[in-house]
Amino acid sequence: MPSADPTLSAAPLLQVKGLTIRFGELTAVDGISFQLAAGETLAVVGESGSGKSVSALALTRLLPPPPACRLGGEIRLGDRDILKLDEPMLHKIRGKEIAYIFQEPSSSLNPLFTIGSQIGEAIRLHRPDVKDPVAEIVRVLDLVGIRDPEKRHRDYPHQLSGGMQQRVMIAMALVCQPKILVADEPTTALDVTIQAQIIDLLRDLKKKLGMSVLMITHNFGIVHGFADRVIVMFRGKIVEEGPTEVVLRNPQHPYTKALISCIPRLGQRQERLVTIDYSTLAP
Amino acid sequence: MFSEITRQQFRRFRSIRRAWVSFWILVVVYVVSLFSEHVANDRPLVMRYGGNTFFPTLKFYSAETFGGRYRTEADYLALEKTPEFLAQGGWMLFPVIKSDPLRSYLKEDGSPPLAPSARHWLGTDDSARDVAARLLYGFRTSMTFALVLAVLSAVMGIIVGGIQGYAGGWVDLAGQRLIEVWSALPFLYVVILIGSIYGQTFGVLLFVFLLFEWIGLSYYMRGEFYRLKHQTFTQAAQALGAGSFRILYRHILPNAMVPVITLFPFMLIGGISALTSLDFLGFGLPPPTPSWGEMLQQGLKYLYAPWLAFSSVIALFSTLLLASFVGEGARAAFDPRSSNAIR
Repeated sequence: MPSADPTLSAAPLLQVKGLTIRFGELTAVDGISFQLAAGETLAVVGESGSGKSVSALALTRLLPPPPACRLGGEIRLGDRDILKLDEPMLHKIRGKEIAYIFQEPSSSLNPLFTIGSQIGEAIRLHRPDVKDPVAEIVRVLDLVGIRDPEKRHRDYPHQLSGGMQQRVMIAMALVCQPKILVADEPTTALDVTIQAQIIDLLRDLKKKLGMSVLMITHNFGIVHGFADRVIVMFRGKIVEEGPTEVVLRNPQHPYTKALISCIPRLGQRQERLVTIDYSTLAP
Repeated sequence: MFSEITRQQFRRFRSIRRAWVSFWILVVVYVVSLFSEHVANDRPLVMRYGGNTFFPTLKFYSAETFGGRYRTEADYLALEKTPEFLAQGGWMLFPVIKSDPLRSYLKEDGSPPLAPSARHWLGTDDSARDVAARLLYGFRTSMTFALVLAVLSAVMGIIVGGIQGYAGGWVDLAGQRLIEVWSALPFLYVVILIGSIYGQTFGVLLFVFLLFEWIGLSYYMRGEFYRLKHQTFTQAAQALGAGSFRILYRHILPNAMVPVITLFPFMLIGGISALTSLDFLGFGLPPPTPSWGEMLQQGLKYLYAPWLAFSSVIALFSTLLLASFVGEGARAAFDPRSSNAIR
């Protein structure tokens, strides 16, 4: 069970109301609403193309400008509506208030600069008051569990393993002390043992820094024990929402049921994986 | 200051012997040609006359200074042989090539073009001007022209291609159509027209070449910027709150430099051969500027004087070959896709 229900504690940090995302004729996200409280961890689960990643990118308007992509609805961060802000304001929110970690750590880092200089870039952008950037870089690298940070911060991305690259990405996100960390399938590109390490690290950091986390995944195995609440998305709509334990124990929507039944269980011979018959599912 | 990858590429370039040696030959010859006045000149580097020391390649001295009648520049070659000069115990130290590229040496025996001799190592052209001196000065002109042209057109190509690739959409579409129309302009007519209106000076020719040279690179840069714009690290920088300029300057441009570096030597080759062919046709730099194209033209005209054709062809050929080697090496060293192709 989630410790105490943080949703009740205060006004939500982030509130999404009727968010719609259209790419030309295609409606990728169709009027979804959810909220994220301070310190809460929310998991968004859904298959490829269900609209979970674009929703996350829409939170700071990281999508292509119109006419390629049109946004509707409302995204309230504090007392601001992100969909109404101008570019310079968005630059201040990106990284500083809402930071991202992406799926592919190896391509998320610029190959030509040391990891230290890339973390330094984040510091320069959002915390110009930091006197000793190198000390700060070393501190966050240590925080995300990179051994020997005094030396490693001079390494180039290609000198690090995938897991370490993802730790660097997390360090880069954390150095700006964001209120919300959006993790877009942060473990998909990593192998299973590293996945567990990264999830542990995120859980640890969340506890230490008290930030909210929006975790996007299609893996229910990660959700359990990590997220306080779960949103299940299917074809651009939220089909199920609730505390993690409840959703996992007692899934309501056929898609959620099918997804949960695909988690392999120890000691149980797995027959063919369940497939979804889309024709019977109302989106 | 340079990243590890850059240094590694540089080391790889150095390990390709042929490219590295070619690069240094070109650099040394170009630097020497920058001091052409002190390498090929009929004024002495140092001379001693009447107890004083003179440096005629650096400073102008009139004939009066050395007991002549006129205020025009002294004729040192004649002066050297006068009995008064010898009586004064004077001496002159001449540059390696004892000829001025613009001066006709008509006092020698025979009629020009003169065959190679101890006095004129590569012979003279039809105006009795020293071929070796003209080759050297011509190299300086071609190389300077090509270098300036390559640098300016690279800058222009990066800017135009970068804007197109990064902005995309209508900007890209309209830009691309404009470039297509622009590149369809007949280059030679434009050169002849502008040349005949504003004169065929170095600057005008450079300008006209520049109007067309940047187009090739802009295609590459457009593609690179377009590709890099969609790289995750660019999007990660965006998600971090970096502005457009910062993303362009720090995340896209450095990663887009590979085509610039690998194409640069070939742009240089293009510049040299374009100027040479224009000179050959007579639409290039006006006479009597020492130029390789004009020498090639003479070589064609006086086939019975093969030193003319040989010296200019060999000079042009070796310059282009060396630059090609440099380009080939640069491509092998800097292009990630052909990392160890040649040794």
